[in-house]
Amino acid sequence: MEGYSRNGEISPKLLDLMIPQERRNWFHDEKNSVFKKEEKKLELKLGPPGEEDDDESMIRHMKKEPKDKSILSLAGKYFSPSSTKTTSHKRTAPGPVVGWPPVRSFRKNLASGSSSKLGNDSTTSNGVTLKNQKCDDAAKTTEPKRQGGMFVKINMYGVPIGRKVDLSAHNSYEQLSFTVDKLFRGLLAAQRDFPSSIEDEKPITGLLDGNGEYTLTYEDNEGDKMLVGDVPWQMFVSSVKRLRVIKTSEISSALTYGNGKQEKMRR
Amino acid sequence: MTEEDSSAKMSEDVEQYLKLNPPCSSSSSSSAVAFANKSGTFKSSSPPCPEHVLENVLENVLQFLTSRCDRNAVSLVCKSWYRVEAQTRFEVFIGNCYSLSPARLTHRFKGLRSIVLKGKPRFADFNLMPPNWGAQFAPWVAATAKAYPWLEKVHLKRMFVTDDDLALLAESFPGFKELTLVCCEGFGTSGIAVIANKCRQLKVLDLVESEVTDDEVDWISCFPEGKSHLESLSFDCVESPINFNALEGLVVRSPFLKKLRTNRFVSLEELHRLMVRAPQLTSLGTGSFSPDNAPQGEQLPDYAAAFLACKSIVCLSGFREFRPEYLLAISPVCANLTSLNFSYANISPHMLMPIIRNCHNIRVFWALDSIRDEGLQAVAATCKELRELRIFPFDPREDSEGPVSGVGLQAISEGCRKLESILYFCQRMTNEAVTAMSENCPQLTVFRLCIMGRHRPDHVTGKPMDDGFGAIVKNCKKLTRLAVSGLLTDEAFSYIGEYGKLIRTLSVAFAGNSDKALRYVLEGCPKLQKLEIRDSPFGDAGLRSGMHRYCNMRFVWLSSCVLSLGGCRDVAQALPNVVVEVFGSDGDDDDDTVTGDYVETLYLYRSLDGPRKDAPKFVTIL
Repeated sequence: MEGYSRNGEISPKLLDLMIPQERRNWFHDEKNSVFKKEEKKLELKLGPPGEEDDDESMIRHMKKEPKDKSILSLAGKYFSPSSTKTTSHKRTAPGPVVGWPPVRSFRKNLASGSSSKLGNDSTTSNGVTLKNQKCDDAAKTTEPKRQGGMFVKINMYGVPIGRKVDLSAHNSYEQLSFTVDKLFRGLLAAQRDFPSSIEDEKPITGLLDGNGEYTLTYEDNEGDKMLVGDVPWQMFVSSVKRLRVIKTSEISSALTYGNGKQEKMRR
Repeated sequence: MTEEDSSAKMSEDVEQYLKLNPPCSSSSSSSAVAFANKSGTFKSSSPPCPEHVLENVLENVLQFLTSRCDRNAVSLVCKSWYRVEAQTRFEVFIGNCYSLSPARLTHRFKGLRSIVLKGKPRFADFNLMPPNWGAQFAPWVAATAKAYPWLEKVHLKRMFVTDDDLALLAESFPGFKELTLVCCEGFGTSGIAVIANKCRQLKVLDLVESEVTDDEVDWISCFPEGKSHLESLSFDCVESPINFNALEGLVVRSPFLKKLRTNRFVSLEELHRLMVRAPQLTSLGTGSFSPDNAPQGEQLPDYAAAFLACKSIVCLSGFREFRPEYLLAISPVCANLTSLNFSYANISPHMLMPIIRNCHNIRVFWALDSIRDEGLQAVAATCKELRELRIFPFDPREDSEGPVSGVGLQAISEGCRKLESILYFCQRMTNEAVTAMSENCPQLTVFRLCIMGRHRPDHVTGKPMDDGFGAIVKNCKKLTRLAVSGLLTDEAFSYIGEYGKLIRTLSVAFAGNSDKALRYVLEGCPKLQKLEIRDSPFGDAGLRSGMHRYCNMRFVWLSSCVLSLGGCRDVAQALPNVVVEVFGSDGDDDDDTVTGDYVETLYLYRSLDGPRKDAPKFVTIL
């Protein structure tokens, strides 16, 4: 019933979700240009970067529609927990969000690290005492984002707004998968055109084993697109640059398509 | 006419001039006309040129005007006043370093001795702005080095300052006296060493919440020998060890030292030695507050005696790695304390009680939420003079335990009626507690409540937090700064817009339902200067609703909202005096330009000199 084909055509069902019925005609008319492989210069975009069909249709949609209506109609679904039909709908907190709570970096890490009550010193010499380094010292030297976290962008097929995930707050693929579910479950439900309620929020499962509707992939520091879960966790963390949640049915096309045509591939 | 008569007449005239309210047109001819009409009243026997008289009089009067708002008003009266004011202004405050170019500053003011410069907007502190966005001190130090060789004071906040900048500063200003760097970065201990060494008149060196790279330079030893003029030395944010013997020597030869804030690499024993050397201190940052080594059998230093000897201490901070068993050593100074900062110390209510019980004079109290509602109740019971309270989270995650709540907030409101400023992090809150504070603390000028769980409603009633914040804006008529959180609908913003008549700074995160909220604020809040918003459903229509006022605001920040490039461009095109920057939060992406339509971050600000030339690639100026 999904209607997704292997070669990346858009299912009419997805179009229903994102573009109102009456606007879809222009999309079909410009089918050729949509499928034309354009250079990927779109940095900030609504759609998941790999699925360019959706991107361009989304972008065009935004440009043609009166802006307020188009964006806000999406926003209304995304952002209005208080105006959803079920008053008991409590938003479950998604994973860590950049810069929230608004506490400066040197005020973090009090719960861990060297604010212990025990003696915390190493040897003294020449009157210069060395104490234990706070954990954010190490983070400072390795990461350009000196505030300690290791944030990577994550986009999900069908959800216009990307998120960020702090990988340093995770220890395993399972944890990551859980966070992805928390981050996108509500957003995905909000994309549906009918009133959302808790029952419609299906958990996003099977991200790592190919059994779910969606699969988690990533782009590494060489621009290659890979399935998440194949290498040891630390190796993954050290090479991952971006995450993408794609439709499981699209795996083969997403991975080869991206790898082959990726303009930024440097080999 | 006698001398007395003529001088009496002159002061009458001065009074008349000073009462002139509406600014004249800026053409010199009209001011000359205005002057000519009055000049007939100068009846003294040997009339000096009236313009010179006026300017001399003005100069003498203006020296009493220190408030920058007053001076700005004076400069608008007419060109002559503008000129005199510019000649007599010695301190300048620049709230946004990109609102004008250094050249414009040096062109207008010829005699500056003190400069306050602010750079990045506050949300940059929370990783919402990519590194290398800008706010470099370099062009400012270069321009002022040439224009103001007698410069004495530089105060920077959220600026990017390099070691070279500091070196140039140290070389260019022989009479330099005060350097304060708040939330700055880009420099290291080598830059500080140059300042220490070359600024021979240095009175103040305050490094506050700045990132200072450890170049492994012994900067304390770089202060020259001989008596120093130091009155204030703060380096608690410097995360590198220091040469304690050199510090002790410096303190010994700094008889005027009143404020000393050491970093966590200074142990309790070392602190003791410093206190013995400097009993005249009024403000002390205690470093780690933890002993260096296990006791080696010799007599332990009498810490309480040291505190007893420092009779003048009114401000205590530090306690970076404190040991609870030593905390009571500060007891002798508690009764005199006006400011106590425990915000790095995981202090339980049990540890707090015996201390706070004696702190009757405290006006400023910062702590972690580890003190819990009980601790706040103890504060409320004793600290009747409290003006400023800040409660930070020990565990700043959204789902952490949350040891403080509306109970503590309400207790504070009932006990500390003179409260003016509060910053309160919590996990859950009620409208009732917030409303109680609005009713009990009418002197509030700053109310910043951070309910850490996003979109959290009143945890008792389940309703949005609209009523609580509504009560704050309605009842706290002096409120100038507001930060909101929790579940908020557009209605909360209608209250803010309508009742927030004096609000200058508004921070919003994860709040509101629609553009209406943003419209309420932009169409209300007549004094709004700084608006920072993140992750809220505000789009182009909301942005447009503020077009009439962006020229009169310092800045507007909107990130992770629902703005489109077209909407932002509309603002940029309509308002040539406003610089509109758009960028993503991730500066190290490969793509250079914003070609998608979605705008992740919008930062707009008024500027006299157009778009800046130093914008990095990831910033697009529309």
